[in-house]
Amino acid sequence: MNYFFESLWAIFAKDIVTELRSKQVLPTMIVLGMLIVWVMRIVSEAASLSTMMMGPAVLWIAFLFSGLLAQERSFSTEEQEDCISGLLLAPVDPGTIYIAKLLVNIVMLCVFEAVVVPMVFLTFELSIGGKWFEFMGVLLLGNIGISSIGTLFSAMIQLSRVRGALLSILVLVVLMPMMIPAIFALLFLFGVIPEEVAGTGFLALAGSLKTSVGYLVAFDVVFTVACWLLFGFVVQE
Amino acid sequence: MRRLLILLTLVLLVGSTWMAFTLGEVVAVENNITVEKNIVYVHVPNAICASLCFVVLLVAGIGYLWTNKPMWDYIGAASAEVGFVFATVLNATGSIFARPFWQTWWTPSPRLISSAVLWFLCVAYLILRTSIQNPQRRARICAVFGIIAFLDVPMLFLSARVMQDMHIANVKFESAWQGAAFGLSTVSILLLALLLVWLKVDILKNKARLESELTY
Repeated sequence: MNYFFESLWAIFAKDIVTELRSKQVLPTMIVLGMLIVWVMRIVSEAASLSTMMMGPAVLWIAFLFSGLLAQERSFSTEEQEDCISGLLLAPVDPGTIYIAKLLVNIVMLCVFEAVVVPMVFLTFELSIGGKWFEFMGVLLLGNIGISSIGTLFSAMIQLSRVRGALLSILVLVVLMPMMIPAIFALLFLFGVIPEEVAGTGFLALAGSLKTSVGYLVAFDVVFTVACWLLFGFVVQE
Repeated sequence: MRRLLILLTLVLLVGSTWMAFTLGEVVAVENNITVEKNIVYVHVPNAICASLCFVVLLVAGIGYLWTNKPMWDYIGAASAEVGFVFATVLNATGSIFARPFWQTWWTPSPRLISSAVLWFLCVAYLILRTSIQNPQRRARICAVFGIIAFLDVPMLFLSARVMQDMHIANVKFESAWQGAAFGLSTVSILLLALLLVWLKVDILKNKARLESELTY
């Protein structure tokens, strides 16, 4: 067990240090996220849509697309100088490599969120009303879901020719089911859908904050475990 | 053997189509309005086939990762392609019938979202397949994606349920003959799917054989 944590930390620290030194992806992610938010704000004004309704959707769209950049980086950097062979030759379980890469992606998305979430709050004039803890929890759950799929798929496509485009197709398709409860959870938190209204009228099946969060937890557990188990097959030579 | 299956499928397809056209309208109650829904003879069997293709994709994926036999890879690839065909027909027929009955081509309703994502999953699988050159690696990666895609389907059904539903839950058959026609069309379309998978597996097998002979 100790060995697991040591090797996990070694890979995790290596990736974080390379990213901090090269500053390759994080700035791009943040700028892309800000651009998405900014464009969506203008679009929502032009279409005279409610900012309270648009805010949560924009948050997830920004996370999804910027997350793709972080995930693509996970294994494209390993390909230079054939680092991936060295990593696979090291006496570590492939599952450990997966968990380490997943953690790096989660941390990168968290840093990204620290910048983009305040921006969304300012431009879309959202107010959370003291539910900060729940809000962070929902974001983290979404974060784990996005990263778990993205990290596996990033390893899957490392040798293909059209890497970026392929990754976005695969990740967006598989993550689509998660987006509905993720957006509902934020709508409940922001009070756009009051908890009393849930389950009545056209929201008859919309569930509540609890069911949405439950779904997110289930999604994260199912796909993190599946990806962790399948990762060995993906990198096997 | 295969010729027999082709003949049987053809006979059943023609027979069930003839029954569907002659047995009168299938009635469904939707939002307290009774509408005719003969689409059920094509649409529902297609949905069953498209979903079954994902089960085959899972089995083939696990089979390949377990045994490393290329045959499993061919079965997986064939079922994804057949699933793509059936999901296309499913979405197209649904869309054509949605327009006169719901005044819209597409709406984010649970079953519509699910069938659209099924289609996208098949497309993603096929694109992924064309982008990897090495056959062993391609087989492995596609097996992994097939398993993930199968896991995505129940999650999809669960999450799509929170959307407002326009789709009718079930239809009522006027006579036992209509039920029989429905059963017959389901069987014939399942046989068609089986036949297509079989043909595609053969094509892939021969293609792989030719490629390996050319490299020597």
